[in-house]
Order: sequence, then C-alpha cells, then structure tokens
Amino acid sequence: MDERRTIWVLIVVLVAQLVYVAVQGAEAGDTWLESVALRVLGPAARAVTSVPTSFKDFREGLRMRGSLQEENARLQRENEALRLRLLQLSDLENDMRRLGAAVEYTTPPVGAIRAVDVVYVDHASWLRTLVLYTGDQPARVNQPVLSSQGLVGRVVTVAGPYAKVQLITDRAASVGAMVLRNRRQGVVRGSGLGRGGLELDYVPRQADVKPGDLVLTAGIDGVYPRGIPIGSVVKVERGGQLFHSIHVAPAVDLGALDQVYLLDHSSVPPEVKEAEPGARP
Amino acid sequence: MPALKLFAAIAAAVLVHLGLMQLWPDLARTLDVFLVVVVLYGLGGSSLASLFAGLVVGMVHDTLTNNPFGLFGFADTIVGYSTARLAQRLVIQRATGVLALVSFAAALQEAIVVGLVVMLLPDPQLPTPIGVALKAGLCGVLGMFLYIAGKHWLQGSETRRRSRMSRLRLN
Repeated sequence: MDERRTIWVLIVVLVAQLVYVAVQGAEAGDTWLESVALRVLGPAARAVTSVPTSFKDFREGLRMRGSLQEENARLQRENEALRLRLLQLSDLENDMRRLGAAVEYTTPPVGAIRAVDVVYVDHASWLRTLVLYTGDQPARVNQPVLSSQGLVGRVVTVAGPYAKVQLITDRAASVGAMVLRNRRQGVVRGSGLGRGGLELDYVPRQADVKPGDLVLTAGIDGVYPRGIPIGSVVKVERGGQLFHSIHVAPAVDLGALDQVYLLDHSSVPPEVKEAEPGARP
Repeated sequence: MPALKLFAAIAAAVLVHLGLMQLWPDLARTLDVFLVVVVLYGLGGSSLASLFAGLVVGMVHDTLTNNPFGLFGFADTIVGYSTARLAQRLVIQRATGVLALVSFAAALQEAIVVGLVVMLLPDPQLPTPIGVALKAGLCGVLGMFLYIAGKHWLQGSETRRRSRMSRLRLN
C-alpha cells in the first residue's frame, strides 16, 4: 500500500478512536471493547498474581510457625471478649428493633457480602484500577467493593468472571459521605495527589470538623449503603468562602489488597433518581 | 510471521508489566514496556503494520488501566506510525540510535496522553517534567538492551545455521 493510503488509514483510525474516547467521556463505564480485552487479559493477571502470593504465603507460614501458639492464645482471649460484646450488642439490637417497630421505622436492606480475589492492582498509576476474579457468580456494575478496613470502590466493568473496580482514590470517583461525630454530610473525592489521598467537599465552614474524625458513607449517593468506613480526617484548611478544604486518609491500604468483599446491595433505580420533584405521577 | 512475533511480544509485555506491578509498582508506572514493543516493531519499517500494532498494543495497555479506554490506543497508534516513518528515512543501526528513538517515542506518547487527558477530564493530574524524562530514559535503556539482545540472538542463530549447512556439505 502506498504512503498516501496509509496516511488516510491513520486518519480514519485516529478519528474513530477519538470519537470512541470522547463518547465515553470522563466517566468510568462498561464498554464492550474493554470487556472483551478484560476477558482475554484476566486469566494472565490471575496467573501472575497467584505466583508471588503462593510464595509469600509459604514463606510467611514458615516464619510464623514459632509464634502460632502465642497467637492462638491471644485470639482465644480476644474471641471471649468479642462474644461478650456481641451479647451486649444483640441486646441493644433487640431494643432498637422493638423501638423501631413501635414507630414503623424502615431501613434499606443491606445484602450479603462475598469474598473475591484481587488479580490486578494498579494503585501506583494516576489512573487507578483494580481487577477482581469473581468466579461463577459475576459482579454487577455499581456493586460496592469493601475490605475488612472499609470502602474500596465500586465495580465499573464486568467481563464474565472478571470485574474492574474504580477505587475511591480515582479522581473521577465520588462518594456521599458523613463525619461520624456530627453526622455532617459531604462528598468524598479522590484527590489524586501523591499516593491516593481523598478530599471531603461541600462541608460548610460553620461545621465542626477536626483531624482524627472518622468519615463514613452516608448512603445518599444511591450506590453505597450507610456506615461503611471511608477514612479519617488528617487536615482541615480554610477553603473557599463557604466550605472547608478537608483532607482524608483512606481507611484501606489500597496497595495491600489481595482479597476484597463484594456487597450485594441494590442501588437506587435510575427512574427514581432522575424523577423530577414536581412531576405528577 | 511478523504478526506471530508481535503477538508473542505483546504476551511477554503483559507478563512483564503484571510482574512489575506485583513486585515494583513504581517501576511499572515509569517503565512502559508496551511502548518499547511498539517502537521496536516500528523499526521494521512498515508504517501500516506499525500503525495497527500500536493500536492493538495501546488497547491492551488501556485494559490494564482505568478509563477512558482508548487513551494509550490513540497515542500508541501515532507512536507506531511515526517510528516506522522515521525508520524508513533514517538508518538506525547503532544501539544509541534506538535509545534516542525510544526515548523520543516515550516523550511523544506522554505528550499525546496528557493532551487527551486535559481535553477529557475535568481536573486532570499531570505528570512532572522529571517524571516524563525518567520514563523516556528508562524506556530508552530497555529498548536499547532488547535491541542489542535481539541482534546477538539473530547473529548467533545465523552462525549456527551456517555451521549446520557447512557440515551438511561436508557429509
């Protein structure tokens, strides 16, 4: 093929790609092309991840052998204390249920959680990604992803047994949040600065927020249920005229994830989200 | 045969990238093995094949990062085509020439990706000039070593082939 034709091919390919990228926009989304590529690359990522994990587990097993008895005794003591605490909390839960039933209080249902393996983490890049292997039961788009420490992100692409997760530290991610101490609500976004910080926006300057305050999901964004730890406030600065500029450290160390939990939580349907307040039924 | 070579190179690049992500995430962020594959393939000189090689390799790279999907696909298409055109005009036989070419390609790719990110994302985080220089340098060094290794391997296989042929003639 002569060079002039090649240039035309180049122009057509570039324009097609530009249109494809522009149509997606800044939002993370589920595209068929990406799904296909993820199906192909997922097994490779899983295989590569499993090698150092198995080696690390074996080495850790050898190293920890001596201290297992001590660890076991400590865990038994901890288990006893937790049982006692569980009894107290069960009592409180019964009280709360009884009082809630008296005033017909209804809370959104929170579904079961399912442990899945992480096969790829790109936490160092400024485009933050995590790929999960979900097995026979595929994940859903917008399904919340947690770890034992707190919120990790949400599923944005599903390709068979693989799912791509947008981390909360992604610059395009936003989560409805609240400060635990005073229930003040705001929006947590990935700051993208350094290695995975967060910012809590739209908290008025009158609100009392201090370093060390815990930040949880507020359950107001239609994706995440209420009460999942997001992080803790590390710095509060005077922002613009109306709002604080609040820096939050994530509760989860996103660089140390090898297993996460998928929360079976149904998000608010779009027709309910987009309904106009004044519209007639 | 070139398509098979490209496929093998992509598979190797994916494994190296995933391995680096596990062991040294910071190095994986700086060292773009996919770009090196595109440039070394482009040295073959076929602009059309290099264009499509860049597209495929870039999309594989896109799959391993977050959206917008197609960012590296777009950049690597241009890089692949430009490399092939340069290789058609210049005679690149020395390893330092490959180092310069891969470094230039890394800087070009970074510029294209940053341009697209600025256009598409509301508040993008841009790489620092030192980061870009480091990436260009590391990619250049990797490209140079692979080029030297490939050349040695070709020379070795050619020598073995000749000695086999001479033995056959003697028999």
